[in-house]
Amino acid sequence: MSSTKVGGWLKGATVKRGGLSSQLASSSRLTPNTAQPQTTSLSMFSGGVKDSTGKTQEYSSQDDQCPVCKSDRYLNPKLRLLVSSCYHKMCESCIDRLFTLGPAPCPVCSKILRKMAFAPQTFEDLTVEKEVAVRRRMHKDFNKRKEDFIDLKSYNDYLEWVEELTFNLINDIDVAETEAEIAQFKAENAAIIEQNMQTDERAAQELREEEERERAEREARMREMRSQEDAERAEREKEKNELIDRLQSSDAPAHKLVKQARTEAQKRVQRATAGLNLGARSASQLLRSRAAMAVPDPPHVPLSDDWWDYSDRFTLRDNYDDPMSDAVRADVDGIFRAGGYRVKESWERAIRFAVAGLDLRPLDSSPDVVMSTA
Amino acid sequence: MADSTVPDASPPTRRGLYESSSQYQHWRFSPTQLQEMRDNLTNKAVSTIRAAFERDEPGSSNALEFLSSADELALVRLYATKIPQLSAHFRFSEEIEATGISYLKRFYLKNTVMDHHPKNIMLTALFLAAKTCNRMVAIDDYVSRIPKTTAADVLDLEFPVAQSLNFEFAVWHAHRALWGLFLDLQTLDPPPDPDVLHEAHKIALDAIRRSRLSDVELLYAPSQIALACLHRANTDLVRRWLATKGEDLDFAEGLCNSITNEIDAHGVAPPVEMVREIDRRLKLCKNPETIPGSRAYLRRRAELEAMAAAKRKRKAERARAAMEAEGDPFGPGMGDGAGAGSDSSGAGMDVD
Repeated sequence: MSSTKVGGWLKGATVKRGGLSSQLASSSRLTPNTAQPQTTSLSMFSGGVKDSTGKTQEYSSQDDQCPVCKSDRYLNPKLRLLVSSCYHKMCESCIDRLFTLGPAPCPVCSKILRKMAFAPQTFEDLTVEKEVAVRRRMHKDFNKRKEDFIDLKSYNDYLEWVEELTFNLINDIDVAETEAEIAQFKAENAAIIEQNMQTDERAAQELREEEERERAEREARMREMRSQEDAERAEREKEKNELIDRLQSSDAPAHKLVKQARTEAQKRVQRATAGLNLGARSASQLLRSRAAMAVPDPPHVPLSDDWWDYSDRFTLRDNYDDPMSDAVRADVDGIFRAGGYRVKESWERAIRFAVAGLDLRPLDSSPDVVMSTA
Repeated sequence: MADSTVPDASPPTRRGLYESSSQYQHWRFSPTQLQEMRDNLTNKAVSTIRAAFERDEPGSSNALEFLSSADELALVRLYATKIPQLSAHFRFSEEIEATGISYLKRFYLKNTVMDHHPKNIMLTALFLAAKTCNRMVAIDDYVSRIPKTTAADVLDLEFPVAQSLNFEFAVWHAHRALWGLFLDLQTLDPPPDPDVLHEAHKIALDAIRRSRLSDVELLYAPSQIALACLHRANTDLVRRWLATKGEDLDFAEGLCNSITNEIDAHGVAPPVEMVREIDRRLKLCKNPETIPGSRAYLRRRAELEAMAAAKRKRKAERARAAMEAEGDPFGPGMGDGAGAGSDSSGAGMDVD
């Protein structure tokens, strides 16, 4: 079992930091002093893409074995398996042997390959490698966006079609037809593809610039803060020295001089903080400015029904002599009013109850009974 | 009684907010209606219980003496007097106390005492009232402060009570209307003497508390009840107020009289001895299906189980048929063809 397999087919060994040491640490006891060749070169090549960040590492495991010559790390300590464009693995010596004299058929599938067609492996699983390469290629050409379509359904149909093509390419189904369809699409939509490519490029560029700006801003702020702190410190030092000089030279009593120095220091601090506040905007100011920019909502139309609310039957006063609500109105701690409670609403409800249904005739016995007694 | 032969003077073109409430629409009756309802309920219960007894042992029910609707009412009224005591014990507001009593009364318009003893229904009604009036008590706390009660006693009945109330939990109370009257009377010109007003309010509130034992809240609007109680306390003030509102004085006074008569007649706790005797008889004629462990109870349980199983089977059948027909256990979709048909069948599925 590969000792470097993290688990799961997708979790390969792509971004494994501290590669060399971890490899050695987890390596089998068979070959304790084997030096593993790690490619951390800046031009890591995988599926035709250069990785410029230098973070991806080549995949390799302890029990690699070249399927062609069957040599492993024991026989060849510098074993390095490269992957062909038909996704078959081979060690470098075999590649040398087979392809140095020009194009030759792949020993596994007999596809004609050149020596250049080999690249180091990034993913543990070769099918993943193939899929990533296919998708990368498809994405370059099939970059239409939602805005390019009339409605959602056509966009979804397009996406589904693209996925179908991708699936065919990955699983080698009807490759020729699929390639023909792709070529046709490219020919028909060359303009849109070009446009979208440029838009994406521009968006990426803007993002980079934005990040740059933010970083610059942050650094500027840090610098300013640091310079301010230094200025503060220098000021305090100066004051201390001044005080000492004054104590030395003048005749005035010591405590008066000290008090004087302290008031001067306070005044200075106040001036400094006032200066700062003028620059920074408080949170409430920011909110208000944003609110001013906001688009106004359409006016709210409340639910309307035609129930009569008896409001013409009474007039609500602002104050009543009401022993029941004395505790609430006194409310020293403001607890009752916390949820937005207002005594006036309570009074209104009570008075509404008092006039609601005042003229309602009570239900009597059924009309025929009444008739008989009338 | 208000004179119903006088036709309504100009049919009202506007309908007040009170008429949108469930209390007005579903819980307002006439005295004869109330009596009918109660009698029907008792008779139906008696026949069901008789049948249950007969199924157990034929001939046993002839010797039994069942309760009459008046007996039931007396029992319910007694337990309605216990709610204020319990509510004071928990320091509930008057709103909760009044709501609990309303729930109790309404429950026994739909159920009989022989099926559900008011002792536990009273506890459940108060618990439910506390919940709906936004002053919920945790069930453990509630039950720990009432001797000889378990949480199951209360919680098992909570849903049946709510169902009998038709889930209409908002009750308009007369004591709030009285408060409103008290406030609005201060706007009279010239304003009444505060002491007089306070005194009248006190007397009227006492009358309202007594009225909760009677049926007035099922017959009249809460504003009318409050008016009647205040009318008895201080007639002059009420007359002046009615004049400012432009109300028909005769109608109002007639109404007040009927209400106060009703309160005087029934707003008293029934004598304890009588109720004890009723309780004794109740123990004998209780519905055996409600006594856990009895044969009738087990038989009823089996019946319900069978019904539930049949319903489940029907549902499974429907799903299976839909699966075979459409390949989708939920039946045809809303938009593909059988739209209206599937909608109605879907709606009807659960209303078995």
